[in-house]
Amino acid sequence: MKNFLVIFFISALLFFNSCAPSRLIRPLDKGQKVVSANIGGPLFHYSGTVIPVPLTSLMYAQGITDNTSVFGSVHTTALLFGVAQTDIGVCQRLYYNDSLHLGISVNPALNIAQEFWPQFSGGFKLWPQIDLNAYWEIHPKKSFVYAGFENWFELATQRADAQPQTTHWLFCPQVGYTYSRLKWNYSIELKYIAPNLDNLPNVVDYVGIGGKGTLAFYISVSRKF
Amino acid sequence: MKKSYILFALLVVSFSSCFKLDSQLFNNLKCTQYLLDNYTGTQDFILDNSYKIPDSLIHIFTLQSREPSESNATQIYAIYIGDISKIATDTVIMYCHGNKWNMDFYWQRAKLLANTGNKNQYGVLMVDYRGYGMSSGTPTEDGMYADVDAALQWLNNKGLSNSRLMIYGFSLGSVPATMLTAHPRTMTPAKLILEAPFASSATLVNDATQLDLPPSYVTTFKIDNADEIKLVNQPFMWMHGLSDTFLNWQTNGLVVYNNYQGIYKEKHLIPGADHGEIPVKDGFVQYSSDLYAFIKR
Repeated sequence: MKNFLVIFFISALLFFNSCAPSRLIRPLDKGQKVVSANIGGPLFHYSGTVIPVPLTSLMYAQGITDNTSVFGSVHTTALLFGVAQTDIGVCQRLYYNDSLHLGISVNPALNIAQEFWPQFSGGFKLWPQIDLNAYWEIHPKKSFVYAGFENWFELATQRADAQPQTTHWLFCPQVGYTYSRLKWNYSIELKYIAPNLDNLPNVVDYVGIGGKGTLAFYISVSRKF
Repeated sequence: MKKSYILFALLVVSFSSCFKLDSQLFNNLKCTQYLLDNYTGTQDFILDNSYKIPDSLIHIFTLQSREPSESNATQIYAIYIGDISKIATDTVIMYCHGNKWNMDFYWQRAKLLANTGNKNQYGVLMVDYRGYGMSSGTPTEDGMYADVDAALQWLNNKGLSNSRLMIYGFSLGSVPATMLTAHPRTMTPAKLILEAPFASSATLVNDATQLDLPPSYVTTFKIDNADEIKLVNQPFMWMHGLSDTFLNWQTNGLVVYNNYQGIYKEKHLIPGADHGEIPVKDGFVQYSSDLYAFIKR
């Protein structure tokens, strides 16, 4: 039962904040625009192997200043299920060391979802999130590696069947690498979703560490304008 | 740059659709014949010969099942263990099996139930829901209710009284068992037994995400045992493994148990039992003894 049901319930993870990679690590230059496509998601056991959930999203970002960029995304897989979901936010550089080529950025964002099929119902959700990342430019203005963590907040006090919602904070450490070309960027990211939470019992056979959380893997391609 | 905006918008619109993953819930496996004791596939347990059912008490037959929205009936397969001519005076357990595969997988469980309390003590009826085993059609939530009710119609036609009908639901089978006890159609079960039940589709989605995620995002299922159980007044027995790694006993079974407001309830929490392991971890004798005591009380 588990192997088959996993497809069904993994779908619920479409709406996990952590089912998208970090949107922006390094703010864009002022006036610069980027469109990116992302695929990947939590790793889980399926038919004797381990695969990432192939979740997709599209993002648009624009540099407001050299230190501040704004972004918005569309979770395209969620759209397939009749749910409009976006995360909109700001990437703000907090610190940059010119000699070390080391920077720190913060991304406050709102993740918003509204069901529109089969009806425009009460299926509205809003989750605040905030990411904090440190990056090191291997070649300035080109490739960089980064590490940081994502924080996702569930505001509801009650969950299904009138039971109390006990999880209000999902913590997700992450590492990644971006290879930057003149017009294109290519990124990979490994994230550890909710390492503080038990992953059993659960209808989804996650790939965690020591029975905690789940690992997730993403790749992204970006086009700069 | 305008082109990129247009491209972005087109991609968004083109992805917009109306998928739900309802059909992915069902783990049905088709077969061309029922092998029963000769079945060699994976099973939770295999009983020894002391539980063997004489061939004369094994009946495989078809039923016509029609859910309200259907114009034509669907042919489903059923197995009855017992003497059909004595159904009117026997106690019968309607066994609603779980999601895995088909009746061959649950044959050992059905034998165990038939031998509850004594050798060939009770009649046991189970069906393969539409799309499972040799049953025609495609699994649906409403179809599952109709299929179990078709079985109850057959029992009713054989003269079984409500007072001698026990309904037992394991895992997914807890859904039709609870629904048809809360909202009786052809027959009203005298007692309800749930082994490792779901609470609701919402709970499953919430458990999977740790978030208060609306289940309607991914499914149109209305499965809600936690709510339906409030309408059940008949005596209720709940069993759940404390090591169930699939359906959390606290967020699923316990919620159903606590929401029950009828005349009598009892619970059996089995240490060390994972999903499907209750008869083994509890021990066949103890499992049967508890079940027998509940049915007889």
